[in-house]
Amino acid sequence: MAEAEKKDGVEIVGFACSYCSFKASEMAGSLRLKYPEGVKVVQVPCSSRVDPAFVLKALFEGVDGVFVAGCHPGDCHFIKGNYYTRRKMAALKEMLNAFSMKEKLRLFWVSAAEARRFVEKVEKMYSQLKDARHERKEG
Amino acid sequence: MNAKRVDVEVIRAAVEQFLAKEGRLAFGFEEHNGSVRHRIQRTAARNLALFNPYFDLNGLLYLRRFFSKDARILAILRPCEIRAYVELTKLTQVERTSLIAVSVDCFGSVSSKEDLHFPLDPLALKSALEESGKLRYACTVCREPRGLVGDAGIRVDAEGKLWAQAFTPVGEEFLNLLHGTDEPAPDAFIVAEGRATDRFQTDMETFSRDFAKCIMCMNCRDVCPVCYCVDCVFQGDEYVPKGDAFINKVFRLGDTALPFGKEVFHFIRMYHVSQTCVGCGACEEACPQRIPLTKYMKGTSERLQKLFSYMSGRSFDEAIPYLTFLEDELKDAED
Repeated sequence: MAEAEKKDGVEIVGFACSYCSFKASEMAGSLRLKYPEGVKVVQVPCSSRVDPAFVLKALFEGVDGVFVAGCHPGDCHFIKGNYYTRRKMAALKEMLNAFSMKEKLRLFWVSAAEARRFVEKVEKMYSQLKDARHERKEG
Repeated sequence: MNAKRVDVEVIRAAVEQFLAKEGRLAFGFEEHNGSVRHRIQRTAARNLALFNPYFDLNGLLYLRRFFSKDARILAILRPCEIRAYVELTKLTQVERTSLIAVSVDCFGSVSSKEDLHFPLDPLALKSALEESGKLRYACTVCREPRGLVGDAGIRVDAEGKLWAQAFTPVGEEFLNLLHGTDEPAPDAFIVAEGRATDRFQTDMETFSRDFAKCIMCMNCRDVCPVCYCVDCVFQGDEYVPKGDAFINKVFRLGDTALPFGKEVFHFIRMYHVSQTCVGCGACEEACPQRIPLTKYMKGTSERLQKLFSYMSGRSFDEAIPYLTFLEDELKDAED
């Protein structure tokens, strides 16, 4: 990313399940849908592969937000992976909430067919984090 | 509920009877030269102490990764130590069949660094500890100071008499060693349930201020009884880079506070022990910089445990929330 863009642009790291959300992001590409450049998607074999340590590491190395995207509950390729993700991420959100930074983590359920939904969710997150960043700068 | 009326001598005799067989060990406290420390006994239960007002370590640290199926250990410890044992059995870090875990009512403890001496008689100890005003923070906010966890428990009644109760078949085994008859237990014991604390809420500024002194010695991790991973994520270069890897990182990230990675270290640790933290305060006791770790570790873990109505070490049968799930829950988890 260009240096100028980095200054006012928001950076987001996303962990996307390779069976659904990552497929959705690929489909968004082939449908010529655009989502912000600052979003970096990391492919993981299942959303439950995401140790909250990854999320925390990303946050403390300076990204503005992290999202974890997996299949809808009940649709996991590995039968029950995303149920564990749901518990882990709910707990991590509660922990970040205790430190007043709840808005930095999102959990999305996106199936392989929902390219539009994926883009909408990511764009919404991006614009919210951008607003928060401007508020911080001004205030 | 029935209980056995006992005293220190009866328990000592029971421990010695237990040790008479081959392959048996007793793990508990020993009074020696006015201080009380952990001790593993193989032959005789000399100077056995039931109460330990001086906190140095959580004793379960010594029993982690203890899998010997032939040896049997009788552990008579504080409730926080027995709760750590219960958590470790769920994480398969200790073999449940080889241990008899007996918790003893706890009146709180002071840091072992303090130069204080206490009588070991239960009633005198309780009032002396209260008068000293030096109770550790972890003990003042303890959720379960009662000997109600593990296989069996030893409770203290209003007159300072000791009562032994069994909670599991393994605990019955311990009770059978005790000389005495079953009597109806008294209605009230002097150690009450811990009081509820306020919901923990803070912000990053307070966190940075409190942890500014951290030198990343990782003592808090090393003494934590439930922080058990053999290959800790902080062992390699991935999370806390050193040397060239570190310099490259600084070039990439810009100005960096030192030691690098202390925030992420404490956050990851806070998350990793969130469901199993028993709030013993061993981390704070081991911290050379006197960082108020218990406030953060216990505060976050209590919040996260509440999310799943879980309490670490309460029972052998409750599964650790991250290792199980319900299909129909957390409907609002998605954003």
